Amino acid sequence: MASKSYDKIADICDDHILQAHTLNSARFLWKSIPSSLKESRLEMVAVWKIGQLLWMRDYAGVHEAIRGFNWSQETRDLVASFSDVYTKKMFQLLLSAYSTISIQDASLFLGMNEDDATNYVLQQGWSVDPASRMLTVKKQPVVTEQKLDPSKLQRFTEYVFHLEH
Amino acid sequence: MNLNMNSVESLVAQIQGLSSSGDDIAHLHNLLKQSEELLQSESTRLAVVLAELDPSKHSLGYLYILEACTAAPISKEQANEVILSIARFINECAAEQIRLAPDKFISVCKRFKDQVMLLEAPMRGVAPLLTAVRKLKTTSEQLTALHPDFLLLCLLAKCYKTGLCILEDDIYEIDQPKDFFLYCYYGGMIRIGQKHFHKALELLHNVVTAPMSTINAIAVEAYKKYILVSLIHLGQFSTSFPKYTSSAAQRNLKNFSQPYIDLANCYGNGKISELEAYVQANRENFEIDNNLGLVKQVVSSIYKRNIQRLTQTYLTLSLQDIANTVQLNSPKEAEMHVLQMIQDGEIYATINQKDGMVRFLEDPEQYKTCEMIERIDSSIRRIMTLSKKLTTMDELISCDPQYLAKAGRERQRFDFDDFDTVPQKFNI
Repeated sequence: MASKSYDKIADICDDHILQAHTLNSARFLWKSIPSSLKESRLEMVAVWKIGQLLWMRDYAGVHEAIRGFNWSQETRDLVASFSDVYTKKMFQLLLSAYSTISIQDASLFLGMNEDDATNYVLQQGWSVDPASRMLTVKKQPVVTEQKLDPSKLQRFTEYVFHLEH
Repeated sequence: MNLNMNSVESLVAQIQGLSSSGDDIAHLHNLLKQSEELLQSESTRLAVVLAELDPSKHSLGYLYILEACTAAPISKEQANEVILSIARFINECAAEQIRLAPDKFISVCKRFKDQVMLLEAPMRGVAPLLTAVRKLKTTSEQLTALHPDFLLLCLLAKCYKTGLCILEDDIYEIDQPKDFFLYCYYGGMIRIGQKHFHKALELLHNVVTAPMSTINAIAVEAYKKYILVSLIHLGQFSTSFPKYTSSAAQRNLKNFSQPYIDLANCYGNGKISELEAYVQANRENFEIDNNLGLVKQVVSSIYKRNIQRLTQTYLTLSLQDIANTVQLNSPKEAEMHVLQMIQDGEIYATINQKDGMVRFLEDPEQYKTCEMIERIDSSIRRIMTLSKKLTTMDELISCDPQYLAKAGRERQRFDFDDFDTVPQKFNI
């Protein structure tokens, strides 16, 4: 493979990892990259480290891996925006899976120190019990579009009519 | 006419002259068929001739000559050049011309695949073969002999995602049963790699239940993977076959897959330690079949299955109890398992860390959102299209003289009342 495509591969790697549903493709991409190339590109290895932790669902490890590398100018923005997206996703996960969670765990999931994490979730309407150091999750009502297009209703009526006769 | 067909030079001239209009090409096709012997005898000189032809304009003629000059065994030194020239032809050739000689095109592409594999560079073959499949098939419903080869290269090159693009088409037209078996088997493996277990089950199920007069190795391997994927995805496996499964498959498949059947039985007991012991004892069997990775996924999926079972019995349960029942080491581990399952939408639950409890909930889907209605509607429409296809096929078969002759004879034996309704004139 030509040397100029190295950077491209690193970019594709980044892109894949950014979207969780293509993480699997990133895994196979990584496996098909020649090992000599992997050794020579420290940054790519660092990106894949994030990918691995995502794959293993080491929620807190992902944040550490993001912080633990001195990203180059061109990847810094990408990694920062990934970090943003990932934090939001983790918040959604906590929101859907927990009714109460310790401040310590929440800070690990969100990749912040305990004070920042507490402030972050308080802004979302959660409450904190300082004695037990527990956070109580405030569920957000799910808004879904329920208004039905009349033509759809018409078609369903026709289906049912057809089936009954 | 045969007079001017006696040399390669004149044939080249014909190819150059007769490659523009449809009529000319049909005529050229006849000439080419007649010159096959000549091409075979002259195969060593043909490589030079190719340079005089344009693969995009003279595709049919180019194809015949390329086929003839790659027929001889290819040395390892030549392989690279052959790969390049075939790849170039695949990219540039005109689809409507090569479709006139599908067998030649398939044979050239298969040689291409063989050479790529000999060089252990499957990745080089992926893109050209995808182009080849797209040029060869006339509709997206058609399965070509190149589909399985393309999927095989995707698997070897780990380009799983590329393979998906032809797996998304619904196949209705099949020429050779073997192509279909391989297509579904390799397709199943690609879906497994992508963790689309539901789709993988579908494809493997097709292999297992396809009509077959004798058992074949592809069906056996597919059945083994079917058992494993079924355990991973559904948490269970049923040994009974659907009634449309061929009797050859019903009689033999289980005998060839005994370690897998036993694995499924062991899984059914729900005891992780027993399952691990069984896998350890039969490790070699699974390793030889290249299924050890999948087997490991089966083992780790048993936690998921056991937790899912708990949701059917309990409304709330402590993390400690979950850990005890599903044999996890600590409440924290149980919490992580539950969390992952919630994330994947496999259970509906909320974790209460304060009390160390998990509350299992009902599926919040109420089937009244626009999105859900859109999904139901599209499913109904797909089923309607499928049903129409079935009716058409049914009509075609019931008009087929061969079928009627056979069905007619058999029905007479069983039911005298049907005698009159059988069209007698087909009964010869």
